[in-house]
Amino acid sequence: MPVWQRIYEEINNPDFVIICAAQDTGGEAAAGPIFDAANPTYIQVIDEDHLVSSSFNFVNVPSAAWIDEEGRIVRIDEGTYSKVHELGVGDQSISFGTNVYEPALKDWVANGAQSKHVQSATTVAGNIRQHSAEQQRADAAFCLGNLFRKHGIDDKAEQYWDMAKALNPDSVNFIRQNLTLSEEGSAGEQFRAMRDNFERTGTDYYRPIDIEN
Amino acid sequence: MAKAFMAYPELRSPFEAKEIHPEGSATVLYQGKTITLSETGNGDGLLINPRDLGQINGFDIKPEGACFRDLCIPLNDQLLVEQNGRQWFNLTGFADLLDQPYVADHAASVWSFAEIPAKRANMMLDAMAPEIELTDRNGQVVRLADLKGKKALIVTWSSW
Repeated sequence: MPVWQRIYEEINNPDFVIICAAQDTGGEAAAGPIFDAANPTYIQVIDEDHLVSSSFNFVNVPSAAWIDEEGRIVRIDEGTYSKVHELGVGDQSISFGTNVYEPALKDWVANGAQSKHVQSATTVAGNIRQHSAEQQRADAAFCLGNLFRKHGIDDKAEQYWDMAKALNPDSVNFIRQNLTLSEEGSAGEQFRAMRDNFERTGTDYYRPIDIEN
Repeated sequence: MAKAFMAYPELRSPFEAKEIHPEGSATVLYQGKTITLSETGNGDGLLINPRDLGQINGFDIKPEGACFRDLCIPLNDQLLVEQNGRQWFNLTGFADLLDQPYVADHAASVWSFAEIPAKRANMMLDAMAPEIELTDRNGQVVRLADLKGKKALIVTWSSW
C-alpha cells in the first residue's frame, strides 16, 4: 500500500482520487494494520464482501479501474502493479508485476482524454469480464458465507464459500481468501499448484497488460 | 520448498459466535448492506413488508409498479401477495422476474441477493461505472457517483 501513497503524493492533483479497497473478509483486523503502515491519505476501504471485485467483475487482486470525470471507465481489469516484483530464490522464485502501469496512470491524470492510454467505451466494455448468472450467484453465496463467519458459524461459512468457489471457479479471490483459513495460508502449496495450473492451461490469472509507453 | 507466508493463524476465526438476528426476524444481504427484517410473510420465498423494499434495493412501490428511476415493474398478485388480510411484497419473486440471482439459508432465515442485472446494464453497454456505495475506514460513505468531476483510480488489494 505504500506504493499507492507514493504515487498519490507524486501526482498531487486535487482532481484525482485513489480508492484502495482491501478485499478482506478478515476486516479491520487483517487489513487495517497494513493500511496504517502506509500512512495513507487516499480513500481506504475494507471491503469484506469483495463488493468492488463483484461490481467490476474482477477475479484477482490487485485489479483496478480508471474512472473519468463523467463516471465512465476508461481502463479496466489489469494486474495493477506499479513495478516488477521478485519473490523467493532459486526454483521457488517468482516475478510478477509491470513497470508500465504507473507511468500510464500518471499520463492519464495529466492529460485526461488526450492520454493515449484512455480506451474507448467500446474497448472498455469489451474488456469487462462477462459475469454469468452462476458467477453472480457465487457473489451472493460468498456474502452469505461471510455473514455466517462474522457470527462465528464457521461450518456454514465454509459451506457457502465452497458454493461460491464451485459456482465461480475463475475467482482467484475466492480461492485465495478461502486459503487464508488453512494452515498453509493463501500463498502456500495449494496456491502454487493453482497458479501453476492456471499458467499451464493458459487460464486468465490477470488480463494481460496492454500498455505501450 | 519455500516457506508459506501470510497464513495469519490468529485471524482464521476472529469472530465469536453470536446470533444473526432476533428470533422471528429475517436478514437480507444486498450490495454490502445487511438489513434485518422484523416481520416476513409465510412461504418458501421471501415475503416482506412493502415498506421495506426501498431500504433493500432502492425500488419504491408506486401506482405504476415497483420503480427505480425510469424502470418500473408492474405489480400483480404474484408480487403483491395477500395473507390473512395483510399485503406482502414477494422479494424472491421480484428477483426471479429481474433475473437477479440469490442464495437462501432457510434454516437461518437469511437471503443473499446479487446485484440486479438491470442496474449493471450501463457498465456492460457503454462502460459507465457501477453505482456502488462503500464505507471508508473513517465511516464515511463513498459513492462513485459523488466523485464526478474528478478522475478516480479504484484499486483492489488484499492482506492475503
